[in-house]
Amino acid sequence: MKNYQLGEFEEIVLLTVGILNNEAYSVAIKDEIESRLTRTVSMGALHTALLRLEEKGYLKSFSGESTEDRAGRPRRYFEITALGKKAMLYAKETREQLWKAIPKAVLEYQLTIGN
Amino acid sequence: MKNQKPYPPQLPLRFFRWYCNPRLQDYIEGDLTEVYERRAKNGKLKADVLFSIDVLLLCRPGIIGRRKNNYSTNSIDMFRNNFKIALRNLWKNKPSTVINVLGLTTGITACLLIALFIQHELSFDKFQSNRKRIARVVMEYGFEGSTETHKGTFTSTKVAPVLSRTFPEVEKGVRMTDADAILYLNNEPVTEPNFMYADSSFFNTFDYEMLQGNASVALNGPKKIVLTESMAAKYFGSENVIGKTLEVGTNKTPFEVTGVIKDYPKNSQLQFDFLASFSSMGQNQEKTYFNANYTTYLLLSDELAFAPLLEKLDPFMEKEMAGTGATIRFHLEKFNEVHLYSPYTAFASNTSITYLLLLGGVALLIIIIVCSTYVNLSTAKSIERAKEVGVRKVSGAARNQLFWQFIGEAFVVCCLSVLVSFCAAALLLPQFNSFVSRNFLVTDLLSPSFLLITFCITILISLAAGSYPALILSGMQPARILKGLFKNSSSARRLQQSLVVFQFSITVFLIVCTVIIRNQLNYIQNRNLGYDRTHVLTMFIGWGTDSKQVETFKSELKKHTQIKEVSRCASTPVSINGGYSMRLPSMPETEVIGVFANPVDEGFVAASGLQLIAGEDFSEADMRGAEIQDEKLRRYQYILNESAARQLGFMPEEAIGRELILNSGGTIKGVVQDFNFQSVHNAIKPIVLFTAPWGGRMIIKISGDDIPGTIAYAEQQWKKFIPNRPFEYSFLDETYARMYKTENQLGKVMSLFAATAILLACMGLFGLSSYMMQQRMKEIGIRKVLGASFMNLISILSGNFIKLVIIAIVIACPLAYLIMQSWLSDFAYHTDMHWWIFMIAGLVIVSITLLTISIHGLRAMAENPVKSLRSE
Repeated sequence: MKNYQLGEFEEIVLLTVGILNNEAYSVAIKDEIESRLTRTVSMGALHTALLRLEEKGYLKSFSGESTEDRAGRPRRYFEITALGKKAMLYAKETREQLWKAIPKAVLEYQLTIGN
Repeated sequence: MKNQKPYPPQLPLRFFRWYCNPRLQDYIEGDLTEVYERRAKNGKLKADVLFSIDVLLLCRPGIIGRRKNNYSTNSIDMFRNNFKIALRNLWKNKPSTVINVLGLTTGITACLLIALFIQHELSFDKFQSNRKRIARVVMEYGFEGSTETHKGTFTSTKVAPVLSRTFPEVEKGVRMTDADAILYLNNEPVTEPNFMYADSSFFNTFDYEMLQGNASVALNGPKKIVLTESMAAKYFGSENVIGKTLEVGTNKTPFEVTGVIKDYPKNSQLQFDFLASFSSMGQNQEKTYFNANYTTYLLLSDELAFAPLLEKLDPFMEKEMAGTGATIRFHLEKFNEVHLYSPYTAFASNTSITYLLLLGGVALLIIIIVCSTYVNLSTAKSIERAKEVGVRKVSGAARNQLFWQFIGEAFVVCCLSVLVSFCAAALLLPQFNSFVSRNFLVTDLLSPSFLLITFCITILISLAAGSYPALILSGMQPARILKGLFKNSSSARRLQQSLVVFQFSITVFLIVCTVIIRNQLNYIQNRNLGYDRTHVLTMFIGWGTDSKQVETFKSELKKHTQIKEVSRCASTPVSINGGYSMRLPSMPETEVIGVFANPVDEGFVAASGLQLIAGEDFSEADMRGAEIQDEKLRRYQYILNESAARQLGFMPEEAIGRELILNSGGTIKGVVQDFNFQSVHNAIKPIVLFTAPWGGRMIIKISGDDIPGTIAYAEQQWKKFIPNRPFEYSFLDETYARMYKTENQLGKVMSLFAATAILLACMGLFGLSSYMMQQRMKEIGIRKVLGASFMNLISILSGNFIKLVIIAIVIACPLAYLIMQSWLSDFAYHTDMHWWIFMIAGLVIVSITLLTISIHGLRAMAENPVKSLRSE
């Protein structure tokens, strides 16, 4: 079994890149995460996560056009690689397996308490 | 428009740009700007703060990047390439490489040896941990009514105890004196030159590691002695020596061995092999400050105590000496400055700092000569490198890259030379050692501090030699070079010419100085001194040795056919320094004439070959007269030299038979011709020889036919009559030569230095002319075709150089004249500076120049002119 390493924040970033499809660059990713998950994302954390994902081979990047509002600096777009997709699926499947393994009673109890 | 846009705060942005990995910088900075502009719509201040926070949060390992990473491989490649090109160039231009390396090697070897010497001299006494707070006492004394004072490291035994009692600044006082002593090894007498007496506080003041015995009590009490490790091995072998006895002196006084110290470094101002307790001498007195035969060192409470102590010393001594008719002042010398700065020698001879500076100057001069050779050759060569520089520049080389490339080339040559120099220095070390009378080892060359010095010298030379050619080469204009419009710039040519003049000026200067110094040395060696110093043996028989015993010894010696004359005297005629005063009975008692005098016996005038010009020699009867115990009946006889007679106001003949008072009354018996009884630095002074039977030396005039046999006979007789002293002798002419050791050394240094300078200058010239020849190959070809002779060619080719050399001669001669004049004026008797010395130096240089150039001329001559003319 191959071991796909994916941290929690890394997984969120990877998923968001998927959501944004061809429009995924750092500021957009940041905005997306912040609006969907109502949590603040620091630029530093996001960039390191993106770099690490790229190093692992889950993301690849390409340079975009430079725009006026960025003082002439190019955007760096990301897209998910095949390996990245496998890693995402693997993460989802392992979770689902674990979900399924949880006895119903535990969840119901939890839910009632939660309600 | 742009200025209406909010702009991110500069400081955080600059910080960000500084740390950010350049690969990411553009993207992230874009992100930061985008976010900032969006935020700025809600208020600039808030956006600024958030921007700064973002920048701080971005500062993490993944984003911080090392800029140089991007270039590192490239610069290594360039370095490798430069190195390769340097080696190829060196290999291609073998003659100039050899000249450069040889020149640099000669220069660097000289510098290495000089640096070794200087480093050694500077390291003196560094192993003494208290060196900063030890003072050596210098005494200055004079008598009332005279402004003349005498200064030296002599002090009486009173000084140390009185000063350490009176002044709180003085912790300890150590009194020392050195003497040579006679010891007995297997019952044979041996003279040990480094025998020292010292107070028991010696080991508290100075650092010496005790191998056996207890340092704090080793010198307590009389007749105690401490040896060095090697002396313990010499006299006792390897066993435990504590408690053993050592017999000292002709009366074989037993000394108890109380300690053995580890052999200490030789770079020390205290030199001893044996250390006996001071109390053994029985000289401990506190009556007078005179009778000053000892050296005193003081251990002060701290290094700042010098000035306050000195201030108190003068008033104290004024009080002490009040009413004695004499004045004594004490000065303090810092222990760690004695070796380089003190004019007074106590135990080991000092090296003056001026001498070291002079040597340093010599080293610097050598380096300058060597560097100018390198500069000359490489600027001459620069035409060949011009194309390379052009191509490099076109391919984008920056000027400073090229600059460092050429410096690097100089560095490669330098390193090569340093390696060769190390081998050369190691090989020359034995000669160098005997030359400066030190004892350096090959391992001294490899000590870390010395390697550091060498590295510094290497860097210095590479920079000095490489920077001018590097500047010239890197400053060339690529377009002109590649078009082929290139010639050595006129500034480069001017520099070359002035360097040649400079080198040759030094060379001419050194040749002139060397010839004059050699002349003067010859003059000293061959001068008629008024006495005969060939085949004269001198021996030390000891002061006050029983005169009957010596008389028999003398008469036994005279029985040998080869021994012509024997005399007992106080000093040999080479150096007589005993000061006396004389007066005629007619003169008032207070009026005396200072005069040198030598106590001799009846054989002296004959043994030393003095010329009597009036009166007669001493007789045996005269000797008996001087030996009478009763002072009233004792009669001295005197022989004066001409100067002494003149000073008394007599013609030589008039003086005979006159009364003269030297020690006590006596008669002038003869007058001898003036003779040099001191170094020729001094003019001949008045001297009186007087009859006295107690001189400590013996001079023996031998015929010189069978010297070993004669010496063997003398030794055999010596053993019979003076058995308690070792038989040691020296020849008078050797003693005489030793007196001019400094001058001889100077002569040798100058010859060596001059030879080096000539060699280096010629090498430079050789290289320079070979390049000039190459450039003028076509011209030579055409001239030859038109029928120029060898002499024509040489005169055309050398004309320019000869002009430079003549300028050099004109500059150097007056300089040499002035400096040598001041050197010669130190001697009362010296040679003249003949005009032909300058002539010869000039001729030698011009002919060497011509020779160097004609080597190339011959080659150019031998070549077929077709060769140089055919290709275009």
